[in-house]
Amino acid sequence: MDTLTRLSKNLAVRIGIGVVVAVVLVVAPLISSKYVNYQLGLIAVFAVAILGLNIVMGYAGQVSLGQSAFLGLGAYIAAYLVTADLPIPPELVVPVSLVLCAIIPAAVGLVVALAAARLRGLALAMVTIALPIIGIPLAKRFREFTGGSQGTTVSWLRAPDWTEGFLENDQWRYYVVVVIAVLMFVLARNLVRGRMGRAFRIVKENEAVALAMGISPYRYKVMAFTIASLFGGVAGFMYLGIVQYTSPETLSFHTSINMVAAMVIGGSASILGTIFGAIYFVLVPTLANEIDSSLTALISGAILLAVLFLVPGGLVSLPRRIAQVARRLGGRRATATPQNPSDEARTPGTTAPESTEKNKGKRQGQ
Amino acid sequence: MTLLELEGVTASYGHAEVLHGISFRVDENEAFGILGANGAGKTTTLRAISGMVATGGRITFDGTDITGFRPDKVAALGIAHVPEGRGTLGDLSVRDNLRVGAYRRSDRAGVAEDIELCLDLFPNLRARIGSNASALSGGEQQMLAVSRAIMAKPRLILLDEASLGLAPSTAQTVYRAIKRLRSEQGVAMVVVEQNAMLAFSVVDQAIVLETGATSLTGSRDELLGMDEVRRAYLGG
Amino acid sequence: MAYFIQLVIEGLATGSIYGALALAIVLVNRATGLINFAQGGMAVLSTFVAYALYHAGAPLALAILGAVVFAFVLGAAIERIIVRPFERGDPDTAVVVTIGLFVLIGGVAAFFFGYEPRQFPSFFGLETLDLGGVFVSVRSLGTIVVLALVVALLQLLFRGTKLGLAMRAVADNPQSASLSGLPVSRLLMIGWGLASVLGVIAGVLVAPQLFVSPGMLDFVLVYALAAAILGGLDSPLGAVVAAWFIGVIENLAGAYIDVIGNDLKIAVPFVVMIIILIVRPQGLFGRKVVVRV
Repeated sequence: MDTLTRLSKNLAVRIGIGVVVAVVLVVAPLISSKYVNYQLGLIAVFAVAILGLNIVMGYAGQVSLGQSAFLGLGAYIAAYLVTADLPIPPELVVPVSLVLCAIIPAAVGLVVALAAARLRGLALAMVTIALPIIGIPLAKRFREFTGGSQGTTVSWLRAPDWTEGFLENDQWRYYVVVVIAVLMFVLARNLVRGRMGRAFRIVKENEAVALAMGISPYRYKVMAFTIASLFGGVAGFMYLGIVQYTSPETLSFHTSINMVAAMVIGGSASILGTIFGAIYFVLVPTLANEIDSSLTALISGAILLAVLFLVPGGLVSLPRRIAQVARRLGGRRATATPQNPSDEARTPGTTAPESTEKNKGKRQGQ
Repeated sequence: MTLLELEGVTASYGHAEVLHGISFRVDENEAFGILGANGAGKTTTLRAISGMVATGGRITFDGTDITGFRPDKVAALGIAHVPEGRGTLGDLSVRDNLRVGAYRRSDRAGVAEDIELCLDLFPNLRARIGSNASALSGGEQQMLAVSRAIMAKPRLILLDEASLGLAPSTAQTVYRAIKRLRSEQGVAMVVVEQNAMLAFSVVDQAIVLETGATSLTGSRDELLGMDEVRRAYLGG
Repeated sequence: MAYFIQLVIEGLATGSIYGALALAIVLVNRATGLINFAQGGMAVLSTFVAYALYHAGAPLALAILGAVVFAFVLGAAIERIIVRPFERGDPDTAVVVTIGLFVLIGGVAAFFFGYEPRQFPSFFGLETLDLGGVFVSVRSLGTIVVLALVVALLQLLFRGTKLGLAMRAVADNPQSASLSGLPVSRLLMIGWGLASVLGVIAGVLVAPQLFVSPGMLDFVLVYALAAAILGGLDSPLGAVVAAWFIGVIENLAGAYIDVIGNDLKIAVPFVVMIIILIVRPQGLFGRKVVVRV
């Protein structure tokens, strides 16, 4: 295992891996079926959505159960813009839509966060739950914009004329969506590694400490939530690009919950984990459906719990966890290991000398 | 008659061992002191007895090996632990706190009598009997914590840093009540204290801990006679 | 006027359902310090048990009793086996654990019973009473009475019995409670079992109206959470009052404010809740939380 860690830190190796990944990403759609490209595109879509969720939940520690509302909003905005008669040249429709799909959901997220970020963690979660719940009837109501309960079907992002002959629609869509995804990931990575990311982490860890350091928890929570909404909106644009259809169902509360689950399973507070999470989100229900459709929820729930118990850091931490378990089984002196719930004392009576005051504060939903 | 015996007891928090083989004996009706500076392992020793920390070695109570028993099992055997920080049940009233102390008992008349005994020992509590325990001052909460232990009608009381955070006069009041408890009820005690003078007002025997191991041991008079003790705790 | 009273009573009845589940949520939160997103799912699974027993030939009352026993055991088992390691730790991890439970239990229900909504008989029958021009269903009245009874019984349990005292002590400070000899592990299981029973009561009361399906209580759960938070999260009475409030407001707004109508009326409780929480973050009846640094 140590060899692997050493290898992964080697710059040459990393560049090499990056090149391989890039090549695979570029070549894949050319050799795969429409169905596979569709799935890959969906993975990109939800990777961006879950990435936003990870920023606000994994890094900044604010529970959000309404990410699907921003995804849906983005999809609807794009659907409206590409079907309506707008006074702008047709080549600009797509870029303008992308920008608006980023800005408008971000603005909505900003307003919601400004109001709600002062609330305790759980109350904030409730507000986020309210978003899809209120969003769905709103979507059904404003039929002129949204197509009502039936939803809107579109046909856009067709392969442009200059690719005539070597790119099909589905392949073009895949490329557009993957390029956007890569850009969003780079953006997220820089954000997370920079000052903002550090501030998020401190706010998540302990708000009082953040305050003492001059970091306003309120301000950073609002920022995190706005960023998450932006990512959600962009993901919505991408969603419409791949699926070519949106309806009130896109906003469903269940989608939000499943995205949270996928984020945790992939690995929260981890960029790579987000990708695993997206793969899980898209593929597992498909696979489970193949086995037995009534088993889907059961399998998903079981996997989520299994991950939380056995690999709390998510799939992305699987190698580390395996190494940890191997070390412990080997009986060697274990080095400092991250806290896992399964390692903690089972009865509430046996604890390390922490004052119960600290946990009391935590108990009240942060 | 030996009531409590520790033999080579070790204790660890995670992978850090903080007690390295403590041994002592407490007889029935005896008051035993554990002294030492901050971080010496005094509180950990009591936690080891109560089963609140990973323990090695052997702890025997009235003939039964209780090493590693869960806290509620230890309490059921007749050991009442007044924890560091008092363990006040803040959301409950003073009266309810006392009732919780008597949880394992079924003699309602006896429980009522003992509530009276506690209020007699600590008159401050009588006035506050209906208030929420979180509204009590530090000293009152300490009195409540000791009373809760008394309510269990225990054979042994573990008293952890009863003077911590209290004004000297309040600490004196608490210890005076403890002395009264000793002389009137004859309950055995293990008293952990940083304040050696307070401890010596109650205990007959004591050990002094230093970084998890015993550095000195002896009767009250012996210890008071030692230069090290005098220098460390009594200013020469 | 009669219409108004009808709306209020119906609102109180719906609110009672929210209230029963909200009580369960508050109970679990006080005992183990986390919000159980699976509370509704557990209630639905137990309601399915009642359904199965009834269709196996048991009289309704017995079927419900069987479901109550099942619910208690289910709650206790889940606490001991799944939730225990996560209690009093990071609340966000605990949230995700209960979300996982929510998905899993829904999956179990779907696996055994499928997604088709099933009919469930009303314990109170289907009659409507005419009280001086006001038409009220016996079921609605029965629901309100049941909840009031439940609240009274819970008060009695917590204030007047040794078990209730023990549960309060464990909820306050489990480590200290164990030092007084309280069997903390057992008491936590009982707490969850009791909460689960409250949930199945909600399930059985609302099943005739909503039809039993794995997602039956999904919306009710969200309302119950809103009520629990609005009530202040540590106040059982607050949760019930908030739940009634939410039920009544939802109904009145839906009926009297045209622009809201029947489909958007679910937004009303949330908007009201958000406004109240902004003005008073600790909820209507909660205590101001002081976080010790």
